[in-house]
Formats: sequence, structure tokens, C-alpha cells
Amino acid sequence: MGSVTGLFTSENRLHPAAREILLDGIDKGWADPAKLHRPSRELANLLTESKVIFARILGLKEETVTFVGEPTLGFFLGINGLLQPMSDGRLIYPATARQEVIAVAQSTRRSLSLEVDLDGGWKIPQALPGDLLVWPKANSETGARSPSPESFAGPIFVDATPDPMISLPTRWSTALFDSRSWSGPAGLGIFAVNDQASWRNPMPHLDHRVVPGGFNPALAIASAVALEADLIDRTKTITKISELNSIIRNFLQSEISDVDIASPADALPHLLSFSFLYIDAQQLVDRMERRGFSIDSGSACISANLEASHVLAAMGRLTHGNVRIHLYPEHTQSDITSLLQALKEEVALLRGNS
Amino acid sequence: MGKLCPLPIIEIALAVKDALPGTIFRLESDDPATWADLQAWGRMTGNHVRIIERTTFEVISK
Repeated sequence: MGSVTGLFTSENRLHPAAREILLDGIDKGWADPAKLHRPSRELANLLTESKVIFARILGLKEETVTFVGEPTLGFFLGINGLLQPMSDGRLIYPATARQEVIAVAQSTRRSLSLEVDLDGGWKIPQALPGDLLVWPKANSETGARSPSPESFAGPIFVDATPDPMISLPTRWSTALFDSRSWSGPAGLGIFAVNDQASWRNPMPHLDHRVVPGGFNPALAIASAVALEADLIDRTKTITKISELNSIIRNFLQSEISDVDIASPADALPHLLSFSFLYIDAQQLVDRMERRGFSIDSGSACISANLEASHVLAAMGRLTHGNVRIHLYPEHTQSDITSLLQALKEEVALLRGNS
Repeated sequence: MGKLCPLPIIEIALAVKDALPGTIFRLESDDPATWADLQAWGRMTGNHVRIIERTTFEVISK
């Protein structure tokens, strides 16, 4: 029997192509790239090359690419920098937006959470003067794609953290990417401000820098290599991933009763969220881990704050017994067959009908 | 009360299982996920559910 790749969590191992570069980057990344010494110039060149890669693949202008050492800070920078301080405009976002967006919304004067349907779908509202739209490229839990925001007349913050490869809308204002979404190192975000956008730095700042804090240059260099490698992997495996997704859906619908599949059929194929009625997710995750399968869950008993996934709740989906599967290029049909058989057996055991 | 997911849903499902159609049940639960899950359960099983107040719910068996 061949080995099984049992890693299905949203965090993946660092891409092998990036690992060596990361070690090399640590050796070279100690200098200050703003200075004129030889090590500094060499590092600056490496960072420039990295920015070129990010710009080309992510659809950005090279001069708009900035690195954020703490990706969560990018939500604050991207959203608050677009809000006009004296305006009555609203911060508009789908109810399934990431918690980071909701946290920013709770600190703004006016916000509007848009209802979503059972498939996570939502409608782009008409913009009033001063309104700002948060547009996730897709939902990071279910993979549900967002509607085109082209009709929105106001500024748009793009949350590109769920998937870097979906094209930016024509009129994007600020955008945030997370290195982890392409199997790059954690601790790095790519933040971009469109040169057409009215963006003001919302942080206390002394100079023209967009991001106040530092970042680790080694992470940026390795992340660029990971992005290039991930793009190649995705291109080669896009059909396979879609097929694996279909296998999982078909199995769940035919082999296990009372399953609520939250990810709509046209969702990003590498993400799948589903819930088993009458199942304690913590027990299921623990038992699957013991069998060699690492899976995520959005159920309350798993989360740090003991609250169920706001995404599932907003969609009207079952929040208990939830399982989230992240498919990667290295997964095979054999991995999926093993995963599904284990899920079926464990669900039956937990329901007491094995 | 005091029971966390999925216990409130399991208990109401067991109660409803052999009930005659139209039987009315009252569920008391302070688990914050109950209302969301009760609605999803109602959608999946065809039973009718409604919220009476924050921790009180009504289920009418199908």
C-alpha cells in the first residue's frame, strides 16, 4: 500500500521549491535593503526580483507591491485607508466575510453586512457617496465565489487571501494577499494600493511608507519562488483537483446520510465544507487525526472562542459536525478514497450505527 | 439547558423521531449555535421550526 497524504488543513507545508531559497534568504536577508552597502544592494535586488514575480502573477503594478509582516494588519490598512474620515459612507461587506473584516467593521461609524443565501451568494449593492465595498475573491471556508463587483461605483478593498489566482476587478482600490494561500511561508502578506485609489495611510506614520512595520526579506524571497511554483502546480493539476472534488461530493451524497454540503457546486475546487448531522466535530476531528488525516472544522467546539463558524450560520448551513477539506496538488485519488472511507466509518461509529 | 452542540439537536431529533405528524415540541437551549442548527436541521429533515425567544424554540414534527 502506498503512502497516504493525509494533510487536508488550510495550512500547508512550505512548497519544496521555496524551502531552499528560504534558507539562502536567511543568509542574505540580514542587511538593510535601503542602504548602499554591497549586501544591502544584493538584498534589494533580490527583493526587486521578488516584486516583479508577485506583480506579474498577482496582476499588480510592481511599484504597488508592498510586504506586510503581519497579514491581518493588511485588512486594517486596506479598509481604513479607503474610508473617508468625515464621510457618512458605509463599510459594506458580505455576512460571510472574514472575521478580520467584521472586526474592522465593528470599529467603524457605519457598516452594512449583506445577507447571503444558502449557497453563500450575495448581491452587489448600489453605492451611496462615501461607501466602500469589501470584496472577497471567494469565501475562505466554503470556496463560494463572489459576484462581480464591477457595478459598484465606490472604492473596493479586495480580500485576495482565499485564492491569489482569481483576477482582480477592473476598479480595485486596495488588495491583500496571504503568502500561505500559495504554500509560501507564513508571516507575509502582499498589500497593494492601486495608484488610482484615494488611499490615506490610517496608521501613525513618519514617511511615505505604506506599511509601518518591518518584514522578513527571506520570507518575501521564498514566497515569490513558492508562488511561481504553485502556479505551475495548479495549472498542471486543476483538472485533477476538480475531479477529486467531484469524487468527494458524490461519495458524501451517496454513502453517508444527513450531510449538508455548504460549498456550492461552482465553488473553488480546492475547498470543500460540509457538515454531518448529529456529529460532534471535535470528536470527529480527533478520531480522524488518530487515523492519519488532518482536517479542519468550523464548528463551535473546535474554535478558539467556542463560537460556530459565522460563515455557516450566515448561509443557514448546519454548524455542528462541520468538516473543511483543503485539496492540494499533491493529493491523489487514493488519498481521497482513504479519507472518505475513514470519514464514513467514523461518522457511523459516532452516530452509534456502525 | 447547558448542553452544547450537537446535543440539543440530537435530543430533539430523538423526540421527534416517532412522533405523530403535527406534534408540537418545545426545546430549551442556551447554546448559541442552537437556532442556526435547528433551522438547518428543519431544512434537512422537513420538520417545522421556529424561535419563541432567545433560548426557547418550537418544533412541529412532519
